[in-house]
Amino acid sequence: MTDRRSRNLTLLLALGLLLMTVPMQESIHQLRPHVFDPERKTRRASAINVGPMPAVIAALGGFRTVAADMLWLRVERDWHGGNWWALPSLLDGVTQLDPHFILAWQVYGWHLAYNLHAEAETKVDKRYYLDGGIRALEGAVDANPDNWEMIFELGWTLFDRAHDMHRAAEYFYRADQFPEAKSYTTRLYYRCFERTLDIPRLVEALEYAKNRHTDPYSPDDVQHQVIVSDNYRFWITDNHLEDRDKHREIIARENTARAQRSVDFYLYPDNPYWDVCPHCGLPSPEGSEFCSAYGHPMKPSSGSSRSPGESRPPAEATSI
Amino acid sequence: MVSDEIVLQIEGLSKVYRSLFAPAGTKAVDSLTLGVRRGETYSIVGPNGSGKTTTLKIVLGLIFPTSGKVNIFGSDVADLAVRERVGFLPEDAYLYDVFTGEELLDFYAGLFGYSRRRRKELVDELLSLVGMQANRRVPFQECSKGMRQRLALAQALVNDPELLILDEPTSGLDPAGRHQMTELIYELKRRGKTILLCSHFLAEVEEVCDRVGIMYRGRLVAEGTLTELAGDPTEIVITASGMSPEGASRVAAHSAVLGVEGDVVRMGHESSDRLWSVLDAVREAGGRVAEVHRPRPTLQDVFVRAIRQDAPERDAGEEVH
Amino acid sequence: MGQLAFGIGLLVAIVVLAITHRLWAPAMGHGGASTWRIAKITVAEARRRRVVQAVVVLVLLILLSMTVFSYLNPREQARMIISGGLSAITVFGILLAIFVAAFLIPQELETRTVYAVLSKPVRRFEFVLGKYLGALIILAAIMTIMTVVLVAVLLVMDHFVPDLTYSTFEPNLANVVFAAVMSYFAVAVLSAYIVLISTVSSTAMTVIASFIIWAIGSLQSQIHDLAAGAETVSTKWFFTMFYWLVPPLENFDFRHEVSNFMQVSYKAGIDAAGVGILYIIVVLLVASVFFNDRQV
Repeated sequence: MTDRRSRNLTLLLALGLLLMTVPMQESIHQLRPHVFDPERKTRRASAINVGPMPAVIAALGGFRTVAADMLWLRVERDWHGGNWWALPSLLDGVTQLDPHFILAWQVYGWHLAYNLHAEAETKVDKRYYLDGGIRALEGAVDANPDNWEMIFELGWTLFDRAHDMHRAAEYFYRADQFPEAKSYTTRLYYRCFERTLDIPRLVEALEYAKNRHTDPYSPDDVQHQVIVSDNYRFWITDNHLEDRDKHREIIARENTARAQRSVDFYLYPDNPYWDVCPHCGLPSPEGSEFCSAYGHPMKPSSGSSRSPGESRPPAEATSI
Repeated sequence: MVSDEIVLQIEGLSKVYRSLFAPAGTKAVDSLTLGVRRGETYSIVGPNGSGKTTTLKIVLGLIFPTSGKVNIFGSDVADLAVRERVGFLPEDAYLYDVFTGEELLDFYAGLFGYSRRRRKELVDELLSLVGMQANRRVPFQECSKGMRQRLALAQALVNDPELLILDEPTSGLDPAGRHQMTELIYELKRRGKTILLCSHFLAEVEEVCDRVGIMYRGRLVAEGTLTELAGDPTEIVITASGMSPEGASRVAAHSAVLGVEGDVVRMGHESSDRLWSVLDAVREAGGRVAEVHRPRPTLQDVFVRAIRQDAPERDAGEEVH
Repeated sequence: MGQLAFGIGLLVAIVVLAITHRLWAPAMGHGGASTWRIAKITVAEARRRRVVQAVVVLVLLILLSMTVFSYLNPREQARMIISGGLSAITVFGILLAIFVAAFLIPQELETRTVYAVLSKPVRRFEFVLGKYLGALIILAAIMTIMTVVLVAVLLVMDHFVPDLTYSTFEPNLANVVFAAVMSYFAVAVLSAYIVLISTVSSTAMTVIASFIIWAIGSLQSQIHDLAAGAETVSTKWFFTMFYWLVPPLENFDFRHEVSNFMQVSYKAGIDAAGVGILYIIVVLLVASVFFNDRQV
């Protein structure tokens, strides 16, 4: 039998040792936020249907990954079996059980925003699945803020399906900040501005793109320059000529031409056939009375193309 | 052999078991005081539940007394050094059952920090002492009850203890096993070990022990040597065959004879000086004397007597306080 | 805050050890040897009872059955095997810990084998520690075998599964081994808690309580959330205290990160190991206090 004194001392020693764990435990909390940060966990919203999942997840404890795998096998089966409409809830389960299962998130967003969106018959349904897909991908980005692919995926779906160029640009930019991001992220970033024809921002984005891939010999960079102009033409001819609305077609042509000019100007600032608007710094065909981007008066019409406009930072105009 | 040095002193030992169902507690041992001298064999006897095993466990520090003190070799039982000099054979000894006798003894010897070589010698020595040499590689679970008990005794002897504490050493054994065990205890006694044993099997105790303490309901109700406890013999019994009925009645008429029943003639112990004349009378009656003996009251009788004496007072003041 | 707690704790520990050094010193005699012998016999007993063999065969079957999902793409297959394999290692480690650790001491008491040991010059603390070390060795052996098998399966699969351009099998073996080692820490911490319970209760109660403790320990982060989100001071205190008392099992759970091929923080693993070792010492100290007062 221990006497009271040595028992108390032993328990005191135990308490002392327990206190020593505090800094290590706090460090673990910081190093593994996806486990210990309540903020990170509560943002994991369900995209489609909220069931009793949180309780199930809590009960499964450390075996969520395995449970997700089991559901994923059912996803595989239903996918190959053509049971497409059963997939959203299964995928919702998989991604809630394992919010870091990137492939599942990608399939989830893609399946809703592409397959089911296409299969849905009414506009309301289409809208529902498209929104669901985007919400799913937003959830994915919340759960995986460190994964550039996930952020890119959301950007791409916004760009390609929802045509929400502003938000798409935001996510492409975010994804592009990761060193491992592929160069197509950068290209898609400025292409968002091409599509909205937000010329000032497009120019900024192109400038950014050039600095993003600085190595002049990198194949990425070369490819990127070629694609800027090539895809552009492709876009003009292919995309917009399909537009049945004649009026819109004309506008599209004009806008496209305008945009292309600005891009060309940006790429070849030494081109003598341009005049630069003194107000916005954007190029217009030589001899224009008003600037073709914003209709500013091109007052000193004899202005040299080499002298940059007032609002245009000189560094940008001469960087190539 | 027995010296006056007290090696084990129990003073005013009480143990109350408290539980959810008996919050006031059950008194297993009640102000027990006894001392065991060096070299003697002291036996605590008593019916089941009289607190014998509890007392031994307290002595070994396996459980803790509610009040009172136990000293072994002058030290408190909590002192670990005491256990270097004590061996214990638990009741219904059960050792790790997947191991053989050899392995078990090696393990227990190891707990005393003996070297490998010393352990090997010790194991051989102990196995031959308890007669388990031939079965040294039999797993404990395949051993008979007698073999197990002998292994358990060997385990108690690994440190060559000065004080040996045996809890029910012969319980559950067949007569042969009991005999072997009693012989072993004799042998140990001969080697000068102080032995404290407890038992409810009285005959075994009678054979080996110097002093007996009778425990009943946690209290020591009687203590002393066998002679002290049993007192002097009261009669002499002559067994003779072939007495004729009329001869028998003549023998019965002898003034020293208390009675004749068949072949058995009983006479008062106080008239033992007239034994020869009674024997003559028996022979004259045609009887052939087979045996003459002075039966002491057996421990059984002493035991029953002690309990009877104790019981009324105990029943009056019940043990639950 | 954390550094302050560490300082206070360290100070308390040093002061207590300094005060009690006379109590500890004699225990260091052949006490260490007794502890080791008890550990060894515990391991030997488990080996004779063929605990290890049974579990290993079971796990082999499970791991081999995971290699059949060949219709998945390589990365999915890798994920499936890694998450399944690590979970099998953890689950079997923990189940085995419950059944080994819960029986360690109560069984000794119930079969009364403990008398022959504790009547020798063996401290109760040495007995508890020896039994615990024995359990650790058994569990280490089993979990090592399971990990080796998992790694072997991954290597063989990596050899045979054809890689696609967009999806390669490419298992992150270092991380897999890391997660398995961390699972072992979880098992060790849980075993210490089980030993603590077993010093005050019977086998059946210990088994039940062990499952409950496992469940609570696996909800460590949820308790952390509760403490963080508590609205009154008293509930915050309650959950915070509770948080520091339950076994921090989620600290050791890296299965999720590893099977998703995420970045794994080895620093978090080292911290978790530190926390785990301190928890084990704390729990065993309390267990020895309980067992010292136990009437066997």
